[in-house]
Amino acid sequence: MPYEFDEILETIRMTEVEHFDIRTVTLGISLRDCADRNIENVKRNIYNKILKYGKNHVKYGKEIESRYGISIANKRVSITPISIAFDGFGIEEYVQIAQVLDKVADDIGIDYIAGFSALVQKGMTSGETELIKSIPYALSTTKHLCSSVNIASTKAGINMDAVNMMGETIKLTAEQTKDRDSIGCAKLVVFANAVEDNPFVAGAFHGVTEPEVVLNVGISGPGVVLDAIREAGNVDLQALAEVIKKTIFKITRAGELIGRKVAEKHGVPFGIVDISLAPTPAEGDSIADILMAMGVEDVGAPGTTAALAMLNDSVKKAGLMASSSVGGMSGAFIPVSEDMGMIRAAEKGNLSLEKLEAMTAVCSVGLDMIAIPGDTPASTIAGIIADESAIGIINDKTTAVRIIPAYGKKVGDYVDYGGLLGKAPIMYVRELSSAGFVGRGGKIPAPMRSLTN
Amino acid sequence: MKFTDEDLRKITLAAINELGDKASPELVKKVVSKAVEGYGIDKQFQSNNEKASGRVILTAFGLNKPGIIAGLTKALGDANCDIQDLSQKIMSDFFTVIMVVDISGSNKDLRELQDSMNRIAEELKIKVFIQHEDVFRFMHRI
Repeated sequence: MPYEFDEILETIRMTEVEHFDIRTVTLGISLRDCADRNIENVKRNIYNKILKYGKNHVKYGKEIESRYGISIANKRVSITPISIAFDGFGIEEYVQIAQVLDKVADDIGIDYIAGFSALVQKGMTSGETELIKSIPYALSTTKHLCSSVNIASTKAGINMDAVNMMGETIKLTAEQTKDRDSIGCAKLVVFANAVEDNPFVAGAFHGVTEPEVVLNVGISGPGVVLDAIREAGNVDLQALAEVIKKTIFKITRAGELIGRKVAEKHGVPFGIVDISLAPTPAEGDSIADILMAMGVEDVGAPGTTAALAMLNDSVKKAGLMASSSVGGMSGAFIPVSEDMGMIRAAEKGNLSLEKLEAMTAVCSVGLDMIAIPGDTPASTIAGIIADESAIGIINDKTTAVRIIPAYGKKVGDYVDYGGLLGKAPIMYVRELSSAGFVGRGGKIPAPMRSLTN
Repeated sequence: MKFTDEDLRKITLAAINELGDKASPELVKKVVSKAVEGYGIDKQFQSNNEKASGRVILTAFGLNKPGIIAGLTKALGDANCDIQDLSQKIMSDFFTVIMVVDISGSNKDLRELQDSMNRIAEELKIKVFIQHEDVFRFMHRI
């Protein structure tokens, strides 16, 4: 037998019992050649180009799924940031572009298309300003579209004018989609140090340095890691790190195999494997459960940040050994609404916004899928974004804010989206004002890279 | 045979060169699409090739009883699959069977094979999993 009995059983257990799956295969498509002065031509070009490359995306994914017996949870498309390919339009035109993107996503059968984005860490063109203003209307009139705005980077600092604008944009998006628990905000990410090859929505976009079309893969196996840790029993932390690394190594290899095969089928280059541990609302598919299996009583207990840092670091080390094309976020995601364990901890009051913020300093990606009271002022949201961005630019890492000021709701209520987006309790936000600070506007200068204490 | 845009562009250029002065857009289009269609036979071959892709690992578990190996191997034989290795373990009432099966000669693809195995699994009240060998190779071998 070319494989050991145990190896075979382990693989079967991973795929059949522990929810190991390929979270997403994301086809990145450049839209830069779709530019035109005439909006009707732009819409036609976009539709035709995405259809051309994407029409078999779901079919190919399914074929590879059945060939290898590993399920691919989502097939998605990311596109060039719309503000780059189509600078110079106004709000109305951008909303029309959003609707075309939504239609083509529907027609090729994918659940999300991401890249209704702008990169404004240093400053904004008039097109970018208009695009950001159009986001609430774009997200409220579409189903599959995701949007992101990068407002800070280590090289450029934090664009506080953009931060303030995003505070307002998030509030307005919540209001525009109030009939669906402000779902628009679940599809809007504010980034610092955004990466250009991230396959995970809502923050995915096809960076300007990427090729014409590329296939990126996001893998996911919190359930597998959880079981490995439980099985390891009461070992010291060094031994535990080793257990995590071995597990991640295997699932990364499988991810790379699937990615390469789907790319081969499309006849497009294979980009990267994003090795992020991404939870789902399914029981046992939770990062919080991993942290608890490592030994903290609940997420939020002292020690949580250290446990998460170790988990995240082990994931990276093993992933880099397993694949030469690791990219994207590649860490551990800690979205609240998408993780049963995080929801539980937030409900019990064990997990606060402040602890989550500390945790984001050591993992990808940031304050993710957090519901807060609908009457939270825009300036407070801007303050939260500024804090999170500061963590990102000082530590030279990606951070993000995907926060939902749920319209008309207060602490004790829930937002419930079902599916992958899950359900979140409204979390308490300190009622102290940030207005005086964020209201100054301007820029927080780029940080220095030496004397880093 | 799949054509990339680049291939098509090259074919079109070659056609234009060949046709010389006669090359009108309509004529070029006609010639190129005819040439590309000619690869239909190749296409057929390609999809057959896809069906028959190497070896799979078949794993079966359950309560031991007579006829399990017989049931599995008959179905594999009917599908023209070649069993290259087989190992089994019995622990008290439970059995585990692992087979390495070459499906290149089979008229069924992995999914169809999985479907017929699922039917047997249901009849015998056992579990059968089939996965492509590549998955194991990638996960457990550097």
